[in-house]
Amino acid sequence: MSQYDVHRGDNPRTLFLLWIVLAATMVLLVGLGWRQLIASSKYEEVEKRQTERRILMPGPRGNIYDRKGNLLVGNRAHYSAVVYLDDLRPEFRQEYSEIIRAERAALRAAYEATPEKERPKKLPLPNYSELQWVARENVIQRYVDEINRITGRDDTLATNRIIRHFNEQLLLPLPLVEDLKEDQYARLVEQVPVDSPIKVHTGAVRYYPHHSVAAHLLGYVQWDDPDLDDLPSGGIKTFFFKKQIGKTGLERSFDELLSGTTGTEIWRVDPLGFQDSRLEMMAPVQGDDLITSIDLDLQRTAEIALGDRKGAAIAVDVKTGEVLAMASHPAYDLNDLSPFIPRNTFDAINEQGAWLNRAAQLSYPPGSTFKILTTIAGMRAGTIQPDVRHQCQGVHRVGNRIFRCHARHGHGEVDTATAIAASCNVYYYQEGLRMGIDAISAEAERFGLHQQTGIELPFETRRLVVPGRSWKREHIGAGWVPGDTANTAIGQGFLLVTPLQMATFMASVARGETRTQPTLLALSAEEAQRVDHGGEPIGLDQLQWEQLWEGMEQTVGPNGTGRLVQVDGLRIAGKTGTADFRAHGQSVNLAWFIGCAPVEDPQIAVAVMVEGSTAADRFHGGSTAGPVAKDLFLEFIEQYPERAGFSGVR
Amino acid sequence: MGVKVFLKASFTEFQAPALVASSYLDDLEGFWARRMHSKRELEIAGQEIARAKSYYQFNAQRVDTLEAEVRRLEAILDLPSRREYRYEVARVIRRDLSAWWQHLILRKGRDYGIPEGAAVVFAGGVVGRVVEVNAFTSRVELISSPNFRMAAQFEGDPRPVVYEGLPQSGFGDPVGRVSDAAQDLVATTQEPLQLVSTHLGGTFPAGLAIGRVSWLEPGSSGIFQTGEVILDRDLLSLHEVAVLIPLNSQQSDNNVP
Repeated sequence: MSQYDVHRGDNPRTLFLLWIVLAATMVLLVGLGWRQLIASSKYEEVEKRQTERRILMPGPRGNIYDRKGNLLVGNRAHYSAVVYLDDLRPEFRQEYSEIIRAERAALRAAYEATPEKERPKKLPLPNYSELQWVARENVIQRYVDEINRITGRDDTLATNRIIRHFNEQLLLPLPLVEDLKEDQYARLVEQVPVDSPIKVHTGAVRYYPHHSVAAHLLGYVQWDDPDLDDLPSGGIKTFFFKKQIGKTGLERSFDELLSGTTGTEIWRVDPLGFQDSRLEMMAPVQGDDLITSIDLDLQRTAEIALGDRKGAAIAVDVKTGEVLAMASHPAYDLNDLSPFIPRNTFDAINEQGAWLNRAAQLSYPPGSTFKILTTIAGMRAGTIQPDVRHQCQGVHRVGNRIFRCHARHGHGEVDTATAIAASCNVYYYQEGLRMGIDAISAEAERFGLHQQTGIELPFETRRLVVPGRSWKREHIGAGWVPGDTANTAIGQGFLLVTPLQMATFMASVARGETRTQPTLLALSAEEAQRVDHGGEPIGLDQLQWEQLWEGMEQTVGPNGTGRLVQVDGLRIAGKTGTADFRAHGQSVNLAWFIGCAPVEDPQIAVAVMVEGSTAADRFHGGSTAGPVAKDLFLEFIEQYPERAGFSGVR
Repeated sequence: MGVKVFLKASFTEFQAPALVASSYLDDLEGFWARRMHSKRELEIAGQEIARAKSYYQFNAQRVDTLEAEVRRLEAILDLPSRREYRYEVARVIRRDLSAWWQHLILRKGRDYGIPEGAAVVFAGGVVGRVVEVNAFTSRVELISSPNFRMAAQFEGDPRPVVYEGLPQSGFGDPVGRVSDAAQDLVATTQEPLQLVSTHLGGTFPAGLAIGRVSWLEPGSSGIFQTGEVILDRDLLSLHEVAVLIPLNSQQSDNNVP
């Protein structure tokens, strides 16, 4: 045995060690290869999830125009002062260290001031987490104070808002002051240094150039979270700016069309979650525009004519069903609801009962305007013959009840045309009883008065009542009595319709058909030719037709109930109505007028309903609703002289 | 921080007499250069000056007449007369122009009551804003400087927009950028839009020319437009400017950038 071990390559122990090393190396190489080649995509995804963040920026909404291209709803600049928290990190750190130093000194002083026996063993430690928030709040509030100094405002930022922003929206700018006025925005632009962390941010919010005009029709928007379901998978944490969604009116019905395409930014972030560099960007795109059937001039006229009274006024194109105007009062300035609805504004609108669109969201008894339908029903049932006449003494007894005519001393002998023109109740009590409720309700259903019109507006009321025997049994739990028929024949009783339905009913009668499909979309010339309202011809013979129109034209004649609607040179046919209605626990008057013009070839149909606010309001169809309709006809002549038969007159 | 500011101020004040002296020497050089001209040349130049003088006198008279008319109308309408600024004409003694900053040094400072943040204008419109005032000089940030930003509006359109300077290439006219322009504005090379100042920001009077915008394109917001503003080419070769000093000191803000 030599003094030294001789190293031999075939030493079993060395070979064993060698194999172990080789095996371990193989395991490492295979593991590395597996991770690099096979599992790499998984690690890429994990890395992506950890280091990338997505920001969604909703696109601005499209504009809404009237049929002539006037802007009804657009977007205006919404100015705010924001700060990116990433830019404030050095200041947060400095403020934090100063606060910690001061807190430690204060704790030490308190500790040393405590008698030795009462002292805890160790010097108490500051609450680091709480002080961190204090530091952040101090820094942010300093910038808010700077903005207040420049703009003259007095804003503060709540601590919980800062905390929430840190925890949920770290990558997004923190709004310090919102809804800046133009001069405040301009002052900030000029007086805040370009390299300041304060950025003046310009966003878009809805803008209504005509304020309260067509408020219910256009609707308003509210802020909501964007839909995250359509995002590509990958698990990247997503931050988003809130988007505006249509809450009511056309804004809601055409929300998909008007909503812009959401823009996306992908950011690489540092381990603390602050932004590092932008990897991708896709700019948001504005939504599509909407061209409505509304004529701004007619709409304005309807709004002005309604004035401060409660009610609705609708104008419909007889041929196409395009709604030219739809006003509902009381209304509200849509700009007051943008960008946010202040609590006091909400309450004020609520107090006025102005949230609902009276044209389509509330139903009312149609009063005597329904007599047109009763007439058609009687003519089709064969009870109203051309020579039928009734004696009106001002009252009519049905069973034990006395039913009155609005003419206290009666109309005397009246034929069908006179009954329409003078709105004789007694004539219709008698004719209603002769034809029976089944004929009346069947005719009303034929005209679709029991159904929603299907107009492109949300929340059209379903509370539409065309009463009949089964309806009363089902809803009231009582049998039908002749008095119910008498009431229904004059448009009272259980009947409930919307002003929009009455406008489409008038348009249908004007065309000699039973249905009109109203639309708020402007139709092209080709589309207008192809309109199918889906009804059928009314089915009156020539003589019946002439009697009906004679009555409606006489209504707007010198002796008719709608004489205040007369317009020189324009033949108007229509029907007035005055109904009783219970609202807010008291009985109020409803004034109605429905009509169309020109009689030779009707182009426009209108329905006006004015609602009394108190029992003391004495409204009448002819004197209250009639003048509103007259203004609409006059504006129609002004805007469409050829269609009104006034070509060459101007 | 304080040491840095002190050193900077000391250096500026130390350097200022040299700059002022150099500008006076320039003026003197100009004077002697003109003395070298022949009598005939001087006569022609004198005639030109006389013509220019009478033209300016005529304009001054017209301005006086218009001011009198404005005062008369104000009196009729019972409006208070508001003279918001006084003018201090100052000589440019140095131009500090690079891609990243663009400054002018004026030969007037605290000695003439020039405040920080005051608007600086010339015949072609806005020049910039006073950002530093020393004893005998002041520094003006030019509107072409990337550190300059102001509120503006398009001529005839009351909606405010943002004007910002840009890093300059050194070739061609100086340029800036306008942003937050409304969608309905259209600018073309044939029909450029004129960008003017607005009084909303509180620094500049309304209606001073800033530049021309010959194109606008949708910005990253998807709704507001941005575009390039072509500034006056004389901006970088000015010899004399006017500083607008607010008469109401409350209107001047000392904390401007």
